[in-house]
Amino acid sequence: MKKLLSLVLALATILCVLVSCTKKNNQAASDTYELALVTDVGNIDDKSFNQGAWEGVTAYAKDNGITYAYYRPSEDSTAARVETIGTAIDKGAKVVVCPGYLFEEAIYQAQNTYPNVQFLLLDGEPHTADYSVYKTASNVYCILYKEEQAGYLAGYGAVMDGYKKLGFLGGMAVPAVVRYGYGFVQGADAAAKELGNSKDVSIKYWYSGSFAPTDDIKTKMAGWYTEGTEVVFSCGGGVYLSATAAAEAAGKKVIGVDVDQASQSKTIITSAMKGLTQSVKIALGELYKNSGKWPKGGTTAVLGAAEDCVGLPTAKDSWRFKTFTVDQYTKVFDSMKKGTLKISNATDTAPKVSVKVDYQG
Amino acid sequence: MMILSDVISQTIIFAVPLLLVALGGMFSERSGIINIALEGIMIVGALFGCLALQLFNGADQLCTIAPQMAVLIAILISALSGAVFALLLAFASINLKADQTIGGTALNMLAPAFAIVLTWSIQGQGQTTILIPTWTRITEDALGLKSTGGFFGNLIFKSFYITTPIAFLILILAIIVLYKTKFGLRLRSCGEHPQAADSVGINVYRMRYAGVFISGVLGGIGGLAYTIAAGSGFQSGVAGYGFLALAVMIFGNWNPIRILGAALFFALFKIIGSYSYSIPFLPKFTGIKNADYIYLMLPYIVTMIVLALTSKKSRAPKAEGIPYDKGAR
Repeated sequence: MKKLLSLVLALATILCVLVSCTKKNNQAASDTYELALVTDVGNIDDKSFNQGAWEGVTAYAKDNGITYAYYRPSEDSTAARVETIGTAIDKGAKVVVCPGYLFEEAIYQAQNTYPNVQFLLLDGEPHTADYSVYKTASNVYCILYKEEQAGYLAGYGAVMDGYKKLGFLGGMAVPAVVRYGYGFVQGADAAAKELGNSKDVSIKYWYSGSFAPTDDIKTKMAGWYTEGTEVVFSCGGGVYLSATAAAEAAGKKVIGVDVDQASQSKTIITSAMKGLTQSVKIALGELYKNSGKWPKGGTTAVLGAAEDCVGLPTAKDSWRFKTFTVDQYTKVFDSMKKGTLKISNATDTAPKVSVKVDYQG
Repeated sequence: MMILSDVISQTIIFAVPLLLVALGGMFSERSGIINIALEGIMIVGALFGCLALQLFNGADQLCTIAPQMAVLIAILISALSGAVFALLLAFASINLKADQTIGGTALNMLAPAFAIVLTWSIQGQGQTTILIPTWTRITEDALGLKSTGGFFGNLIFKSFYITTPIAFLILILAIIVLYKTKFGLRLRSCGEHPQAADSVGINVYRMRYAGVFISGVLGGIGGLAYTIAAGSGFQSGVAGYGFLALAVMIFGNWNPIRILGAALFFALFKIIGSYSYSIPFLPKFTGIKNADYIYLMLPYIVTMIVLALTSKKSRAPKAEGIPYDKGAR
């Protein structure tokens, strides 16, 4: 009996080892990949930033028959990101897509190390670690987004739809997330002024400090919902999983971020989107038309409503407002597009508003 | 009042995995094997349990006919997979007489890596999250009750999973098995003085295998219970709950009832940390930046203090951590 058991266990151990070996071999069985995406800290299934960019890469690569792959840094550090960029280039990458401001320093180093490789940096501009020198080489193209416009639209829509107690759950307080949040506050304030109920509208505002879902965030959100919060704008990678889990238990609502998250949960009434997928596709198209070099290399594009790169999803399945209509939305969006409606993109001080904002933490 | 009912129900839901896993650790240590691998066991249990839940998820699947039946089967699967994983520890530390701490640590490192490999091979590369279906929660509708939403409705149904009553049953069972059965007495004797136990004809190896096996079963269930309670999907980890459970077990002095108390205590302080802004009478420390971290640190600080004060009375099983050698007298 004992011998049999030891035999079985020994076999199980060997099997485990073998299984993990074959899996690793499969991954390593690679030729070269021309188009590479390096993730920041999250993964390409974060239903948010990395995923949006990755979808742009896959869509363009598939349409044009280009080999593509993604790489994930071993840890959250600039050194690891530089190393991973190096790995991608060793494996034949000619174009490296880097989603996230976290790459700013890594690209600052890599743009000189690999002058023949083209970099696309989303949400940031290359600079030194101490922010003293900003330099974008001609092989780098940067894209920034007007997140404040997307956040504004979400906040405006929620208050116009009759929600009075709102919440903002940010990930890390990085510029893009802060712009979303302050835009959200401004939009809610504008709608409340229009409806004349500024006194009744209140917003709880909190950064979780991470882009990953945890039980602590879920518990905190459960507390907000119990206190009366009706809808939470969950803004940061995977934290929406914590928000929707709490919302489902409480029967309350969530607003998604970056990409249309309506299919993720019935509790998501809308999503403050930025056109990650779209802009990656367009940028790659320009690159390949220009024989593999950025036509506007060394510059930064700031995309917003004017370029149709921010907005709420208006598809029927994703539009879950009750009284706020697509027509009302289009009106606001158009005035934003024309430039008649301006939204502050300051991230250093909180916007001055007449609704009550409870900044926690 | 609603906040109070929230705090109570959340405390219970997070005490459940701690209780289950700490009870598991208790069985193992009472038989003389230090089980550091609880974290890894939880991960493996949660992994297979969540995969089973995914399997039952779908329009024509078991979840539409009998959702709680599907959850029960998932619990059985996680118990079984946790037990098999724990047997690796048993094999290393009982048959090979390896150092138990190192063996357990190795398993803790193996588990998340194994989970990622398996999740990727099933869901596709890069898909690291196994989502938890919403039907795992027992709602008022499912029981045919009207949704009341009042204090008690909130207390009982806001986060009610079948794992809660199961944990309660297991606690009672653990007390009976450990203190009222022949098996329990023999198990305890193997942890206190295995040579003496052997001299009266108890098979020490078999008892220790049994202890580790039970800890695997409970650890596996605890892993699934945690993942369901956290509700954010399985991401190849259980956020250190296995190690927390170890602390709960020590704090609970290897005694089931005290472990229950310790688990509730831990969970309560954890929830207070998360709810610090919503509980009106708590000081807000507005002068300090990121003051909510003070509350998040509370369970650990309080445990250190309590452990320092009570450690004199702490009674660990005498022979734990020492491989049993028949020849040594």
